[in-house]
Amino acid sequence: MEDKGLFGKILAIVPGLAVMIGTLYVLRVYVEPWMKDAVVFGRKGWLVQVLSLNYILLSILTGMFYRNILFGGKIPAWAEEGFRTTRLFIKTGVIMLGSLYTFDKLLKVGGIAITLIVAFVFGTAIFILWLGKRLDADRSVTATMAAACGVCGVSAAVATAPGVRAKPVDLALSIATILGFGIMTMFVSPFVGKMLALSDYQFGAWVGTGILNSGQVLATCLAFNPNFAPGTAVAYGEIWNVVRVICIPFVVFFITAWYWKGEADAEHVSLGSILASKFPIFVLGFVGMTALSSLHILGAEGSETLHLMRDVMAWVFGVGLVGLGAYIDVREIRAAGGKPLRIGLIAGATKYVLALIIILAFIPKEGAF
Amino acid sequence: MTPPVTPPMKLLLALDDGPGARRAVDEAIRIAREKGATLDALFVIDATWDVFTGHDWLSGCNSRIGFLEYMQGLEEKAAAESARAFLELRGDMPGELLTAPGDVVDVIREQAAKGYDLLVLSNPFTRGLEVMRDAVARLTRDAPCDVLLVRADTK
Repeated sequence: MEDKGLFGKILAIVPGLAVMIGTLYVLRVYVEPWMKDAVVFGRKGWLVQVLSLNYILLSILTGMFYRNILFGGKIPAWAEEGFRTTRLFIKTGVIMLGSLYTFDKLLKVGGIAITLIVAFVFGTAIFILWLGKRLDADRSVTATMAAACGVCGVSAAVATAPGVRAKPVDLALSIATILGFGIMTMFVSPFVGKMLALSDYQFGAWVGTGILNSGQVLATCLAFNPNFAPGTAVAYGEIWNVVRVICIPFVVFFITAWYWKGEADAEHVSLGSILASKFPIFVLGFVGMTALSSLHILGAEGSETLHLMRDVMAWVFGVGLVGLGAYIDVREIRAAGGKPLRIGLIAGATKYVLALIIILAFIPKEGAF
Repeated sequence: MTPPVTPPMKLLLALDDGPGARRAVDEAIRIAREKGATLDALFVIDATWDVFTGHDWLSGCNSRIGFLEYMQGLEEKAAAESARAFLELRGDMPGELLTAPGDVVDVIREQAAKGYDLLVLSNPFTRGLEVMRDAVARLTRDAPCDVLLVRADTK
């Protein structure tokens, strides 16, 4: 492959990035305000109030439209490098989300978040290790699905796959299952949340526990309430998300150790090396932002700096979510099948429903901050 | 007057390491023998895992790099095994064995456009991530040469 040089690489990003930014601009400036005023079924704002359509969901849907219809199933070469910046946008957004908290606020909900996440992460993993045996699934499939359904979807599957010698076909089917289930819950959850009159705190806690992919947790929270501020669904959901992400190396270690215990040519697995290679470093950026917020360096609540920052955050996430939508290939998800699909559906649905029951039973409506 | 010399027929076999794909290899060899054709075989190393796992935006870079290296290793192993199996079956028949990385369908289409008379592939074609896609539909939609689909052995 020819080396484009730094300038060439930056230039290659421009077309795809321009599409993502332009799309978000049109959605936020024209489409969303129009939807708020549009009268459907004799009701003003029906699209927003009933369908929960806001610029966040529209960003994802438009990304999906680009990939699956406009681009015919594949992001074209001219846009590919630009769409690749999706990860950068969402990671930047997550780091900026750290500014919504102070350490004392995190401490208020941290305990319950850690308890719920650890229980659900390891509970789901153990359940799948048992379920995989019952369904006579290959051990590497079981291990990959245990990580993916237990922690945070594709990221966990990717982190676990090499350690458990996952086969490409099984891995592809597992990822398709996780994405399919996650996308379904992403669109269903805001309806359920509004139907059950969940508060932002309850909703954030529920989807942070029950939805498989971390990106989808953020998108679902923002679909429920698109505001970036302390006490909103995304503020609570992200605490759950971060705790879950921190769990990745520990879950990978647990599952890899389980896998090798059953293999004749057992390999030594060390928690230290897994921590070093799998720890999501960007979490440190999130904590750094929380530190700045705790030290009031970003200004008091309601300050111009925070206002500007949250506006930037909305744009950063919006652009990232157009890209996230463009990574959803409906054909690939439709191809999901076999034992990964059975395991994913059983475990995913159980986790999703059980999380809702526990949230309704134990999490109060009033948020901690 | 001497009759015009027609160049030998050129066949391209797209190698698939999926189950049941051996029938396509046998069929391509049979046709090449019958027609006195050259038979080139192409194994595409699927380089689209990075895009397929686009939702993995949370892992540390090391985790992602480790994963892509692992997949690359598996792809190269599959390429070596397919090549060995093909060469054993082909014997001394003329032709080349080609290996190239990229999007499976794009690479096959580019290669098939280089003057081949017939492209032979297994149906379904399950090389790499094409197991999740529909390579046959994409390839036959705007194929640069004739295409022979050989039903994969379902047993």
